[in-house]
Amino acid sequence: MGEIILDVVNQRTAFPTKRGMLQAVNGVNLTLERGRTLGVVGESGSGKSVLARSIMGLLPRAAQTGPGSSVHLNGRDLTALSERELRPIRGREVSTVFQDPMTALNPTLTVGAQLIEGLRHHLGMPKRAARARAIELLRSVGLPQPETRVDQFPHQLSGGMRQRVAIAIAISCEPDLLIADEPTTALDVTVQAEILDLLQRQVRERNMAMILITHDMGVVAVRCDDVAVMYAGRIVEQAPVRELFQRTRMPYTAALLSSIPRITDGPHRRLDAIGGRPPDLIHPPAGCAFAPRCKFASDPCQGVMPALEGDERHRFACHTPLQVEAVA
Amino acid sequence: MKDVMTEPFLSIEDLVVEYPLSRKAKVHAVSGLTVSVEQGKTLGLVGESGCGKSSAARAVMQLPPPTGGRVTLDGQELTGLKGKALQQARRRFQMIFQDPIASLNPRQTVREILSAPLEIAGEQESPEERDARIIAMLDKVGLNGEQAISRRPHEFSGGQCQRISIARALILRPDLLVCDEAVSALDVSVQAQTLNLLEDLKAEFGLTMLFISHDLAVVKHVSDTVAVMYLGMLCEMADATTIYRKPAHPYTRTLINAVPEPDPDAPRKALELVPGELPSPINPPSGCRFRTRCPMATDLCAAETPQPKELAPGHSVACHHPLI
Repeated sequence: MGEIILDVVNQRTAFPTKRGMLQAVNGVNLTLERGRTLGVVGESGSGKSVLARSIMGLLPRAAQTGPGSSVHLNGRDLTALSERELRPIRGREVSTVFQDPMTALNPTLTVGAQLIEGLRHHLGMPKRAARARAIELLRSVGLPQPETRVDQFPHQLSGGMRQRVAIAIAISCEPDLLIADEPTTALDVTVQAEILDLLQRQVRERNMAMILITHDMGVVAVRCDDVAVMYAGRIVEQAPVRELFQRTRMPYTAALLSSIPRITDGPHRRLDAIGGRPPDLIHPPAGCAFAPRCKFASDPCQGVMPALEGDERHRFACHTPLQVEAVA
Repeated sequence: MKDVMTEPFLSIEDLVVEYPLSRKAKVHAVSGLTVSVEQGKTLGLVGESGCGKSSAARAVMQLPPPTGGRVTLDGQELTGLKGKALQQARRRFQMIFQDPIASLNPRQTVREILSAPLEIAGEQESPEERDARIIAMLDKVGLNGEQAISRRPHEFSGGQCQRISIARALILRPDLLVCDEAVSALDVSVQAQTLNLLEDLKAEFGLTMLFISHDLAVVKHVSDTVAVMYLGMLCEMADATTIYRKPAHPYTRTLINAVPEPDPDAPRKALELVPGELPSPINPPSGCRFRTRCPMATDLCAAETPQPKELAPGHSVACHHPLI
């Protein structure tokens, strides 16, 4: 087993709303080893982005975490640190790439200024060296003409180029953990492929760990080592990629996989849509949150919350898991 | 003389859409698009940002009318229609948009939203008749019409709002439905429900559809014919099975190879794309517009714009060096 970089224990994050507390993340446990990419997949409202922000400590002030939640990064509990103590960690040990590269960059600063800021602050590099390093980073993320681009503003770049800049900033201080939250959702499919190639290469070359948050099972299938499927604020199934796709145990994962239109399907194939809607997280059901939409739900599913169980490799939260053949 | 029976239901001929930027510069959004759709069939129009697919859709809707070319629906030329005549013709072609929430007025009730097309079309009916018609339409799109009619958009989820948009588009019983990225903003489970609904409604209402999307897998699921666009021009058009199995245009191949398949054992395919950026539609490359990214480009591609040629019946490609 490799070096464990991230250890999230019983993460619970809630937001106050007019109707009551909304439990966005509800008891998530995760560990991540160096060099591995974990895909966190789920639909809108499943809690995947709130989980990422909880790890980064980038939650709105009104958000409530815990009780009993902790996020250990390189052995240190981030939840115990003050905002001031977190500053040298963000960017240096953990950094983020967000969905929208336009809003993630400061429109009033040049690309170079935004890169140099981190290099000087975190690594204490002198101005000239930081600028040279910034150009080198822009080249390593595949930005054409980095010597010219370094002095340009975000609005002068295309969406794909902006995301390359955002990635350059995120990796500039060689963090141990990179959290990419839907990094390619706003991009065209050919640009998506290039950006995912870039992220994968950076993670490998720099021996980082990555959490790749996405709604796209296709992205997970080809880009991640492990997958955690989230539903209604919880991880409902977690396994290495191939295991999860080939030996799916949780009916929600199976339903999600079969509702995806595939390029390999024949024209006009009817999709297996999941009926109903995700539960109200202000008044979540007592039992399994997927039970009202689940074909296999039985009595205990309605009343008793299934725990995330199984072996070290493959865990799932389900009273009526799908049967798969035993591994020979 | 052409046989009248084989006339396509929707025909788009040499469509040009340009947006002026200044006295000299303009955006060449669509530069000579010719496609047609038979009655009751769906044409999927795919391509990436800036390829002109939405501009083409809007030009079909006459929102605004195109800069050049002709759009003909069931023998009636839409380009050139104005004022009342256009308004009357519009009941035959309707559109749904990408953002289900932004396309509904948040201050109106669903009753008001669905009444608007009926009023514009000048439908004479009592309030009771109108309500009954609206409720029936809402039921058809899978909502509880009785309950939904007096609610406002914020009381619905994104998927339900898209159903309301579909109901609004179909209440006048149009012949042509234009869907511009109609399921792109929806979660996969809701997307699947909506795609199934569109297929059902198409069969029930005998709709002809123009389905615009950047998602090749979604397009394959709903389309009979697929047309691929790049930077304002048509690259390739074929039936939905052929174009995915045997793409003839290098750009079609790139698009297909770029789709991440939800299968960890699917073979990884190279993009076959020259690194670089999408050229600007203000100043598009000469000749074939894909040539700056195309691994097969030659001098001929810069010198001459490739014209669509038929490789097989129903399969045409605009490329000097087709793959098949």
